[in-house]
Amino acid sequence: MDGITLQHYLFLAALLFSLGVFGVLVRRNALVVFMCVELMLNASNLTFLAFARDAGMDVGHLPALFVIAVAAAEASIGLAVIIAVFRSRGTVNVDDIRTMRL
Amino acid sequence: MTTFLFYFFAILTVVAAAGVIAARSPIYSAMSLVGTFFCLAAIYALLLAHTIAVLQVLVYAGAIMVLFLFVIMLLSLGEASGPAKVTVPRVVGGIAAAALFALLVVAARPFVPVAAQTPPSFGTLQSIGAQLYTQWLAPFEAVSLLLLVAMVGAVVVAKSRV
Amino acid sequence: MLAAIINPFTDPFPGAQENIAALLWAIIALPLAGAFLCGVLGRFMGRANTNFVACATVAGSFLLSVCAVWAVGAQSTQYISPASGVPVRWALWLDLGRWFSAGDFSAHYGLTVDRLTAALLLVITGIGFLIHVYSTEYMEHDDGYWRFFAYLNLFVAMMLTLVMADNLILLFVGWEGVGLCSYLLIGFWYTDTEKAAAGRKAMMFNRVGDFAFIIGMIFLVLLLGATEKMGRETVLGRTNFTDISRARAWVSALHDQGPLNIEVLREWAYRIPPAGPKTRMGMNLDTVITTEGPLQGKTFGHVLTAALLLMLLGAAGKSAQIPLYVWLPDAMAGPTPVSALIHAATMVTAGVYLFCRLSFLLVLSPTAMAWVAMIGALTAVWAALIAFAQDDIKKVLAYSTVSQLGFMFMGVGVGVFWAAALHLVTHACFKACLFLGAGSVMHGNGDETDVYRLGGLRKEMPWTWATFGIATLAITGIVPLSGFFSKDAILHGAHTAEVLGIPWLGHTVYWIGLFGALCTAFYMTRIYVLTFEGKRAADARLPHAHESGFRMVSVLVILAFLSVVGVVWGLPDMFPGPGGEKVALMEGYLAPAMLLTDRFASSYDTVKHLHASPIPGYIVAWAVALVGGAAAWLVFRSWLPARAGKPLPAPIALFWRLARHKFYVDELYDFVIIRPFTALSRGLYSALDTWIIDRFAVGGTAAVLRRAGSWLRYTQTGNAQNYATVMAVGLLISIGVVLTWVLR
Repeated sequence: MDGITLQHYLFLAALLFSLGVFGVLVRRNALVVFMCVELMLNASNLTFLAFARDAGMDVGHLPALFVIAVAAAEASIGLAVIIAVFRSRGTVNVDDIRTMRL
Repeated sequence: MTTFLFYFFAILTVVAAAGVIAARSPIYSAMSLVGTFFCLAAIYALLLAHTIAVLQVLVYAGAIMVLFLFVIMLLSLGEASGPAKVTVPRVVGGIAAAALFALLVVAARPFVPVAAQTPPSFGTLQSIGAQLYTQWLAPFEAVSLLLLVAMVGAVVVAKSRV
Repeated sequence: MLAAIINPFTDPFPGAQENIAALLWAIIALPLAGAFLCGVLGRFMGRANTNFVACATVAGSFLLSVCAVWAVGAQSTQYISPASGVPVRWALWLDLGRWFSAGDFSAHYGLTVDRLTAALLLVITGIGFLIHVYSTEYMEHDDGYWRFFAYLNLFVAMMLTLVMADNLILLFVGWEGVGLCSYLLIGFWYTDTEKAAAGRKAMMFNRVGDFAFIIGMIFLVLLLGATEKMGRETVLGRTNFTDISRARAWVSALHDQGPLNIEVLREWAYRIPPAGPKTRMGMNLDTVITTEGPLQGKTFGHVLTAALLLMLLGAAGKSAQIPLYVWLPDAMAGPTPVSALIHAATMVTAGVYLFCRLSFLLVLSPTAMAWVAMIGALTAVWAALIAFAQDDIKKVLAYSTVSQLGFMFMGVGVGVFWAAALHLVTHACFKACLFLGAGSVMHGNGDETDVYRLGGLRKEMPWTWATFGIATLAITGIVPLSGFFSKDAILHGAHTAEVLGIPWLGHTVYWIGLFGALCTAFYMTRIYVLTFEGKRAADARLPHAHESGFRMVSVLVILAFLSVVGVVWGLPDMFPGPGGEKVALMEGYLAPAMLLTDRFASSYDTVKHLHASPIPGYIVAWAVALVGGAAAWLVFRSWLPARAGKPLPAPIALFWRLARHKFYVDELYDFVIIRPFTALSRGLYSALDTWIIDRFAVGGTAAVLRRAGSWLRYTQTGNAQNYATVMAVGLLISIGVVLTWVLR
């Protein structure tokens, strides 16, 4: 890499991660929140891969692989939950799903 | 060349990510996320993570996002929602995200890039596979079990009451 | 065996110490086990079984006590004193091991029986057994019989602990134990508030005395500690300990048996004599204590006197003397057998026993003796005057007990300890007889206690009449009954006593005592006349009284018999004494227990008794008793009935009113002590308890927590996104901490 150092990738990953956190905390639609979680996972993947490239050890790709697999599993369950919530409440607006209130 | 490609795809990624969080309709968010994934796959390729790049497109963009779009379409959640309400937790959340970004950048500063030499088989399927099925067999099996559980769980949770 | 009791110097039982001493613990253990059985299993065992168990345990104790008495009748019964290495004769000792030790202080479970203890053992177990039998009939209609017998057995066990203890700590255990049982038994019918209040009053006044007792014990502990320290460190002190082996024995016993062991105290008194012309070199009671601590700067004698005066206060609480006697008349709220056993025969004599036990200390302090004697004399007269105007038969007997205890204290104060002990024994017999007779009267008249509603019981209750009459003659001191000789031994002792530095004591006590005997005769005859003579009162509860059953009557007869034959112990100048001269039987019997006391009294001249014939004094006392009795007879048989309807002369009426209201002593105590205390307590309650503790601390804490809780509740919105925000903030903070602090 000429001119593009590890720091660049880390910066990009930090930016993506922060955008994901922002989306999780601010958006009202539960599906969009979920998508932002996927964004955060991808940012962490990017970090893994950047470090793997920098260190020259491709064993760093394996955690990224597992993250992808886990994200898949999580997405399926999460969407099933959203479907169930939509069926019982008729909305996926996080402001209206407040069952854990004291 | 690499510099240009990196900046090109990086800016695209950021724009797409911004699109995810800013889009009014969930469908636009989903499409933006697909774009993000494609651009990220390109960046992964720049990082010589070939297998992961392919898997990113296959699994993330090809399966997970399809699942998302299925759910959006199934539940007809595609309409745009009204403007977001500005509440205290949301403001705090926004500030927290910004602060988090600043912290992460500060945290990343001390790392001195080594830029080690990579062998030609870096990131190839053979290399990944060799390590996956020998040293990392246990997590591999665990993840497969996890996927099974997720499958069963999804069926159970989403089933409509008879 | 009879010879052993009557003649103090025979030698009938070799090997007594080894065999009988080993069983001393059983004397206490039997009634204790009985208390446990009756209390826990009494209801399941049924009335007959409970009665049997209770009486049997006390009977067993009595038999063992007889063995112990038999043993101490012999000179060969002896043990080696741990404090001096010198054998103690006519006594048994059983050391059951160390109880506890804390620093330099330690106490053992030790039981000892000497001649003094022997006399009291017979009284406690013998009269205790009789009263148990009496109670089986008296309480036959009461449902709480199992509780009653449990408490009664416990009382006997505690009293036995008191008299058999070989150190003051174990004595105090018995002391407090009898106080507890007194409280439990006075308030036996606790559902009646007044009766429960009477129990509480007894406990309170006892506790005041107990507190003084404890402080007195502490003084003694400090005193002995100071003696040991000065004996080791100062040149003056070392001259007291020149006999090495005996001194070493004392020091090791001081640390092992503890400073409150009676033998240890005896050795201490032997080493620290009063100052005087015959005293040898070294420390004496006038030496100033130089060790650091609360005793510094005071003399041994002053501290000893202070300790004895505190113990006097303790004894005044237990034995109902001025100023702590007011609980005893109220204690008549308990069942009559309780009044007979506890408040006539045993518990109230604990104070007298204590001073007889510590007689060797008492004779070293003329000041303390004067206090004891004067308190006793004043109490004797005061209580007698109050008894003049009481209508409740039990109250009269209660005040009579207070008065007779005053006589015993008089005896102790002037140095005739044997006479006080003799009066203790004879008083136990006839006072128990009187109380049980009163109980019989109540039982047969529907629980009536007002003498003005009784009368004429002479024909209707013959046995009760006869025994009550005999006991009345005994208490007023009519020859040839026992009360006469014991009371007049005290008076004679007072008349002939010369206490060092206080020349007026003997005579003052004598004249006060004589007046007290006159009053005793008067009020006892009054009660007897009003209850048994004359016609039955018009407003009696039942038309006819019925005589009590066999169990009660037989006990009365036995006690009356004992009141008569007790005279044998008091007949003067009949038996050979320790010094060769002829003395009364009791004096000779108790001489081995009073060896040190007599030696002190004669060596140091703190109290001397002139040798004078007692006969003139007897004639005077007898005349006084006859005059008092006759006066009461005339007044209440002839004079008052003749004046029926006419008011009494003014001074007599005034006195009568004051006496009936007990000279307003209870009201005085209430005004001076109880009311300020209650006001203080109420003030503290409203200020401290209600305000500061309840409102501020407890309520305030709750309010603060409630506010904080409801404030924190706002974080639980139920909105998962808010939770995520909080998590993000937390993550932020932790990353910040890690970056700045951990990974510096």
